[in-house]
Amino acid sequence: MPSIKVMTNLTSSARSLIALSFTVTSLLLSACATRVEVSGSFPSALTHKLPLRTVVVFDEAFANHKFESTEGPEVSIAVGQIQVELFTGLAANLFQHSVTATSMPTQPKADLILKPAVEDVQISMPNESQLKVFEVWIKYNLQVFEASGEPVADWIMTAYGKTPTRFLKSNTEALQQASMVAMRDAGAHFITGFARVPEVQQWLYHRSTNTLSATNSTRL
Amino acid sequence: MKPLFALTALTLLMTLSACTTTTVDEYRENSTALTLKSGERVVVLGRRHYADYETEPDFIDCIGNTLKADKKISVIPEKKFTDLLYPWFEPRTAPLGLKRLAKMLNEPLIAQRFREQGLHYMIWVDGSTETTDRDGSVSCAVAPGGGGCFGFATWEKTSTYEAIIWDLQKLKESGRVKVEAKGSSYMVAIILPIPIVAQVQDQACDGIGQQLRTFFKGNRANEAS
Repeated sequence: MPSIKVMTNLTSSARSLIALSFTVTSLLLSACATRVEVSGSFPSALTHKLPLRTVVVFDEAFANHKFESTEGPEVSIAVGQIQVELFTGLAANLFQHSVTATSMPTQPKADLILKPAVEDVQISMPNESQLKVFEVWIKYNLQVFEASGEPVADWIMTAYGKTPTRFLKSNTEALQQASMVAMRDAGAHFITGFARVPEVQQWLYHRSTNTLSATNSTRL
Repeated sequence: MKPLFALTALTLLMTLSACTTTTVDEYRENSTALTLKSGERVVVLGRRHYADYETEPDFIDCIGNTLKADKKISVIPEKKFTDLLYPWFEPRTAPLGLKRLAKMLNEPLIAQRFREQGLHYMIWVDGSTETTDRDGSVSCAVAPGGGGCFGFATWEKTSTYEAIIWDLQKLKESGRVKVEAKGSSYMVAIILPIPIVAQVQDQACDGIGQQLRTFFKGNRANEAS
């Protein structure tokens, strides 16, 4: 009987040891994981306003978008909130009047509806690329609709950001900076490129000629 | 006696500073000094469009601080400038040449912002600091009774930068300064690791900043004498 008691004690000690090992290992593993909740602010864009009223739709997938990678070291980058802030500000700067919505509106008092979506996020860390920079790519699909819901354009817009490695700078800090550079790049692309998208350009041209002919017929 | 010897050796090692060699080259369009009227300012910007490196923002800040050290040159911080002109000086949109800048200034909104800020000169800095050589190793170990490091490591860093001055009123290049700084750093570890680090980037910043200052009126040695 005493030998059985000793065995039981040993088994419970071994169990505690294994549990402790698991806890320590999982703590160490979680310490190696990189989790970034991208935060920051963007300056106002220096641009002429387009004479348009827009609704920008941020659906749940866009507003809560999180990039997660489990290949190699675990990395997660939450870009949802910051990209909602970015596109809200950009639309307010580029269009004469802009409001936001969480779902596609029906017959809104607007000229265009914009619905951005994240197609892809890629990151590259110095240990993978052998370059001394952290890189972030974000591929957006900016869907443009008329107020009636008729599609105008699917604009694939890529954004890129990088930041150099620094002694004692954490991966979290470096990826946060690279993500912010990528966001600013997306903003630069949006402001300088929106009116140049061929379908949008064509839509703007038709709109201006229609407005002109309507004005002329009213005058007559 | 032994602790005294160890202390002396340690002090000697700590006071040793790693050597850095700095070479500065300059090119001036003409011998006339660059003038800044009251309220006129300079902006120093880093090139960030290359894939494999980017000019470090802290290096740009360092040059700005060197330029305005004697309070004769007013410098707009890089971040403030790029925010004020957003999105026209991002890596994707920044002008790489004077022709492109001239075209950009045809846009009244941008030209007005330049005037509001009193911008007269724009200095573009391109380059980076790289570790060019590495040798030796330092190993550290921790045991229940204590721990320590042992070994010797050395690494060499090279800073290569070029600064180009653009006159925004005449829309022409006023001059260039190129700097190359090299330095070897060491790490000696006998229980405690003692790094002797060469301040390569700081030397490059000092070299390029001091040389850029000589381009501006009131900072030239011959005018002072």
